[in-house]
Amino acid sequence: MAGLTTPQAFPHRLSPSERPSTGILGLLATQVLMEVRRYRRLPEYFIGVVVLPVILYTMFGLPEAGKVLPRGTDVGAMMFVSFGCYGVVSQALFSFGGELAAERGKGWLRRLRATPMPMWVYFAGKVALNLVFTAVTLVGMAAVAVVAGGVSFDPLRLLACGGLIVTGVLAFSTMGSAIAYWVRPRAVATIVNLVFLPLSFLSGFFYPLDQLPGVFTTIAQALPTHHFGLLAWGLMGPAEDMDAFGNPATGSTTLHVVVVLAWWSACGLLTVLGYRRDLDRERS
Amino acid sequence: MDPQEARNVIEAVDLHKSYGEVPAVVGIDLQVTAGEVVAVLGPNGAGKTTTLELLLGLRSPSAGRVTVFGLPPHHVAVRGRVGAMLQDTAAPESLTVTEMVDLVGHYYPHALPTADVVARADLLVHASKRVTQLSGGQRQRLSFAVAIVGDPDLLFLDEPTAALDVHARQAFWEQAREFARLGKTLLFSTHNLAEADLAAERVILINHGRIVHDDTPARIKSLIPGKTIELLTDATTDQLETVKGVQQVATLHDREAPGIRESSRPGLHRLRLQVAEPEPVLRAVFAAGHRVEDLTVTEASLEQAFLHLTGDQGDPATTAPRTRRH
Repeated sequence: MAGLTTPQAFPHRLSPSERPSTGILGLLATQVLMEVRRYRRLPEYFIGVVVLPVILYTMFGLPEAGKVLPRGTDVGAMMFVSFGCYGVVSQALFSFGGELAAERGKGWLRRLRATPMPMWVYFAGKVALNLVFTAVTLVGMAAVAVVAGGVSFDPLRLLACGGLIVTGVLAFSTMGSAIAYWVRPRAVATIVNLVFLPLSFLSGFFYPLDQLPGVFTTIAQALPTHHFGLLAWGLMGPAEDMDAFGNPATGSTTLHVVVVLAWWSACGLLTVLGYRRDLDRERS
Repeated sequence: MDPQEARNVIEAVDLHKSYGEVPAVVGIDLQVTAGEVVAVLGPNGAGKTTTLELLLGLRSPSAGRVTVFGLPPHHVAVRGRVGAMLQDTAAPESLTVTEMVDLVGHYYPHALPTADVVARADLLVHASKRVTQLSGGQRQRLSFAVAIVGDPDLLFLDEPTAALDVHARQAFWEQAREFARLGKTLLFSTHNLAEADLAAERVILINHGRIVHDDTPARIKSLIPGKTIELLTDATTDQLETVKGVQQVATLHDREAPGIRESSRPGLHRLRLQVAEPEPVLRAVFAAGHRVEDLTVTEASLEQAFLHLTGDQGDPATTAPRTRRH
């Protein structure tokens, strides 16, 4: 790999105690482990982002548990999906938006540029952190639903739905990072809140969409979170139960996937442009 | 590239860097060979940090070119062999010292054992503290640990001892010398001549973004005027400038000596002289019958040395040689 080594005219002057690196897998594992440790130790982050959806589910989802929709789906299970979706959107936006912006503002990302770490490892670490934390949120919510609410889940549906919600980390990561790279670091927390609360509200995560004025339903058709929610509810219950739940199953699976991917790509492009702009600024 | 150039660990040719309209580095040529320990010495704002950032690839030059180990400095193969201790870089707050060092060590193709690095940075007793719990000096030592954990062949240190006390400084340079003994290359910036003298075998003096001198510490020191005399006198600047051995005369503003008001000493004004030897100059001043009060003689400071070495009329904040006469 000639491109990865310096010319032979410059032999290494290694220390006697030096040990060769653990390779890319060791690096990835360490990066993920350290990311998880860092945020597990920050109560304001862990409670605000990981635990809060469980608390909200306990407050607003549990009272509905035990009510059964026409085709047999527990309302508590449908609300598990609603708050799970809210949780993953908040997770992705706060981590990729707020935290990335903070590290950018403090100069840590710049410091990393002086090391040989490839930037994709850094982002992979963030993705893995979010996957782990979202899984923790979902397990916590499911435990509350089953133990305190007596919600009976169809295990296969729960697994499929949980799996889908966890992938929301990826689906909404670029929206967060686009905000991180285009908004002033100090304004990011405000902007993230201004984005994710309306998104959750308009997508039916807090209130059934059919109880909102029609104009909101129209707006919702353009939002990736709404389509992501429809995919997730669809995995938990049949269309009839979705209708009865208040978030009617509209549009095809393909449409939902296309809208989510379109937003992901557009935000990804914005992130790349913002990253390059940042790099040019720092080097200028 | 001639064979010598191909062996220079650092090869910078006519480097320029401006921030908008403000020039920071104006034509720096620099060759450093493997194993050298080089101090970049200069007052604040001389362009030291910008020069280091250009050599590190953290900034792109406005003009000129730089190679490190024969490649552009931001090349991943170069970054794998370079360690850097920068000023004011925050680390992830909730990690401990050990975790930080271990994490960064994983970024490099070769790494030193984490415990070894923590010990060398004199952080053993703080190893399980979180970054937020560290003092300024401890943070600076953590920054050193992070710089060396990749066992770099070239180490950049930007004002590495700024937050360290005397004892910690000595320990720090002992560790840095250990690195140099392995044949590694060290380049550090400082505005402390004594430190450059202590640690480096070559001193690059920069001011206003230019290399003013590039020599051994001993030769640089010999260029610096011996002493600074401050006094209240009735002799004029013009009269003093003609005295043999006087290199420069500056009129000091009142706020330089707030306890002494010129109005309370009619006919006297406060001057600062750069001289090679103070005794003959003072003898000449007394012999001419001038009044002299409140006399102090001190070693020339680096700032004053720059006035001398660069012929700079600068340092406008404190003195205005020949322009603000009373």
